[in-house]
Amino acid sequence: MSHHHPHEPADGSVPVADVIAQLGPAPLVPADQVPPTPWWRHVVDLPRNLIIGFLKLYRLIVSPLYGQVCGYFPSCSAYGLEAVTVHGALKGSWLTARRILRCNPWAKGGIDPVPPGRRIWSQDAPPKIIVLNHPPLDEAHPAAAAARGA
Amino acid sequence: MDFINLILTPFRYLMSWLLWLFHEGFSLIGLDPNSGWTWTLSIIFVTIGVRAALIPLFARQIRAQRAMQALQPELRKLQAKYKGKKDQVSQQAMLAEQRALFKSHNTGMFSSCLPLLVQMPFFFSLYTVLSTTSKASGSNEGIAALSAAHVRSFDESKIFGAKLSDTFVGTLGSGNPNMAVIVVAIVMIIAMVASQFFTQRQLMTKNMTKEALEGPFMRQQKMMMYILPLVFGIGGINFPIGLLIYWTASNLWTLGQQMWVIKYNPTPGSLAEKELNIRRAAKGLPPVGKTKAQAEAEAAEAEEKAQAQQQQRQQPQRKNRRKK
Repeated sequence: MSHHHPHEPADGSVPVADVIAQLGPAPLVPADQVPPTPWWRHVVDLPRNLIIGFLKLYRLIVSPLYGQVCGYFPSCSAYGLEAVTVHGALKGSWLTARRILRCNPWAKGGIDPVPPGRRIWSQDAPPKIIVLNHPPLDEAHPAAAAARGA
Repeated sequence: MDFINLILTPFRYLMSWLLWLFHEGFSLIGLDPNSGWTWTLSIIFVTIGVRAALIPLFARQIRAQRAMQALQPELRKLQAKYKGKKDQVSQQAMLAEQRALFKSHNTGMFSSCLPLLVQMPFFFSLYTVLSTTSKASGSNEGIAALSAAHVRSFDESKIFGAKLSDTFVGTLGSGNPNMAVIVVAIVMIIAMVASQFFTQRQLMTKNMTKEALEGPFMRQQKMMMYILPLVFGIGGINFPIGLLIYWTASNLWTLGQQMWVIKYNPTPGSLAEKELNIRRAAKGLPPVGKTKAQAEAEAAEAEEKAQAQQQQRQQPQRKNRRKK
């Protein structure tokens, strides 16, 4: 057991705090701290939104065919969707292509979050993919955990 | 779209070259170069060739899957923790913990995305080659590595009196429907859809863990199992027969590969694994992933437990109480 992480419990499970640390914070801030959206944003975001639409369609139709194939969290398609949402068409696609190359049979998998970008959202109305890729793990949200009866 | 074409061009050259290579090979051993059967065999062998080239990737994944066996107790603990939390976000949280667990135990992945995605450009480019022969033949052009003469030969070749480039919709709309095309197309569409449906159903009934079957993705997956045959059935009436041959061959390969996996290397925790262990027990072998000594130690432990329980039941106190 010498290869185990120093904070790891004796039973071989991974501490939730470790997973939270690896996931990193979601790009969400209180509503009053969200910068205003300039008018040209919608024009610049056109290719980004096209790719987002394509990825959503892929996740709806193609992903279920293969089941849970990906060894990473978030899965490749979820990573791609968040990467393009956060970083835009160019950098997002680049990050996604690199992730897919990482997701090969020789890789070890694990937690592999999208690196933080410039775009941030209000906590009140986050894109769904951001919520899914940064799920509240119980230790981070004791109140939520209690509410759910954990 | 031009960007996608640019990416696909090298793949299209490779796939059409392979098609040409097999066609030349079959012609060389005496098959009629202009026969639809020679072209059909060529399509089937290109499919087999590409799928066979991908076998090492799948073998690697299956080996990694074996390592997951040791993690079963940990995985069960995690499932207990998230028991009853069926909402998508909680399921994502469980997934995150699960993946971190795999990584910490150095098990490698039970699967990965690259092999699945790598196939796509190959097959999509073959698709574009097979679906554009009519147009190319009409304008007397070649397609990638296939010369104009080859394209024409392919386009004109027939099986059971139906041209490989004919479509169900095309013959119906031509004013003079060809019965041979209608029959061949319908048979091929049914074969294509049935092989796909059966593969999907076999995967879901046999090779998935109980947890995956109860998971949040299951409903979507079940829905797709019924929707996709519809999509392909409707799409199929627009597909040229050559393309239907390719698609069916590809589906049958997937089915065969999956049957092998289910029989010899099932997913840990699935019904297929249970069946494999029953077969192994009948031959006197320990369950998958356990040594004989481990299996014997476990059996002895279980027996000891059972004996201990029996002894407890025979305690004299109870008899005294019952007499009262």
